[in-house]
Amino acid sequence: MIQIVQVVFRFGPLLFAFGFLAPLTAQIIKSAGWTPPFGLSSLTTGLIIGGLLGVVAQARGRWI
Amino acid sequence: MSDRDLSLLSDRELARLERDIARRHIGKFPWFIVICAIVNFAIWISLWPLVFTGIIPVWLGLIIASINAAVGYLPSHEAQHDIIARPGSKLRWLNELIGHLSTIPLALPYKLAKVTHQEHHKHTNHPELDPDVSSHARGPWHAVWRSIVNRQPRAKGAFNAYGRTLVRLKRFDVLREAAVCRLAWFMSLFALAWCGHAIEAAALWWLPHHIGYTYIQFYLSWAPHHPAEETHPHRATRSFRSVVGNLGSMGMQYHVVHHLHPRIPLYRTPQAYWEMKPVLEARGANVDGL
Repeated sequence: MIQIVQVVFRFGPLLFAFGFLAPLTAQIIKSAGWTPPFGLSSLTTGLIIGGLLGVVAQARGRWI
Repeated sequence: MSDRDLSLLSDRELARLERDIARRHIGKFPWFIVICAIVNFAIWISLWPLVFTGIIPVWLGLIIASINAAVGYLPSHEAQHDIIARPGSKLRWLNELIGHLSTIPLALPYKLAKVTHQEHHKHTNHPELDPDVSSHARGPWHAVWRSIVNRQPRAKGAFNAYGRTLVRLKRFDVLREAAVCRLAWFMSLFALAWCGHAIEAAALWWLPHHIGYTYIQFYLSWAPHHPAEETHPHRATRSFRSVVGNLGSMGMQYHVVHHLHPRIPLYRTPQAYWEMKPVLEARGANVDGL
C-alpha cells in the first residue's frame, strides 16, 4: 500500500496531467466553442496539451 | 493599569498579569466558530448541485468555494488547539468533527494540519523546525509568489515541509492518513473530470484549494510573522494592520495573542489583545502594528 502511494506521488505531475488537466483542457475547448487544428478532437488536444505540461512538470519538479 | 505601574513589575509579575488576562478569555464555548463551520461546509456542499444544474454560474461557484476553503480553515484551527472541546470532555467528538469537516473544501487533512501547526507554534520562525518557515518573504507580493512556489511538486515548502516534519516526529500514522486523504482528493478530481465535470471540479475544489491556501498562508503564516527574524515567543509574532481589516484578514491582526495563549478562541483575541497590550509592551512584544 505504502509503495503504491509512493509511486503515485513520485509520478504525481504526470498522473495529474492525464487524470485532470487533459479532460479539463478538452472541456474548456468544447465549452468555449474552439476548433482544434489539424482536425484533432478536443480530447486529443487536451491529452497533448495536458501531457506536455505534465512531462515538463515531471522533469522540472514544478509547474511554473 | 498605567505604564508606570508596569515598569515597576518584574518579568515574572508581568507574566502572571498576562496569564490572568488570558484566563478570562479561555474556556468559553466558541458558538460562533461552530456555527460558522457548519454553515460554511453546508454552503460548499450545496454549491455542487447548484453549479451542476446551472442554477448558479461556474465563476460564482469558484468565488464562493474559494471563500469557503479559506474560511473553513478557521474552525479547524480552533479544533487543532482543542478550543471547541478538550480531550476527554463530553463534546470532544464535536471538536474532532469540526476539525475534519472544515478543511475538506481546502483539501487539507486535519491531523496533518494539527501536528504540523503545533510544531509551528513550538518552533515559530526556526529555519529548520518551523514547518511554515518557507512562507517567509520580503513583501506581500513576494509572499503570494512564495506560497505558490512552495506548493510545486518538488518544492521545499508547504506539503513537502509538512511531510518532512512528520518524518522527523516519527508520526508515520499521520503521514499515512494524509497521503491517503490527498490521494482520495486527486482520485475524486480525476473521476469528476473523466465523467465530464472537469470545469466544475476545478472551480469548486481544485482552484479553491490553491486560492484558499495562498490566502491562508498570507494571513496566517506570512503577515503575522514578518520579517520572521526572531524566535522568542514575544517577538516571533506581531500585531499588524491589514488593508482588508480584521475580518478580511480572518482575525489575524491580533495573532500575537494567539501565539502566546493558543487556547483563547479567535473571536476573543481582539478584546484580549487590547487588555493585554500594556503588559505585552512591557515584556517587549512586537505590538507596534496596532
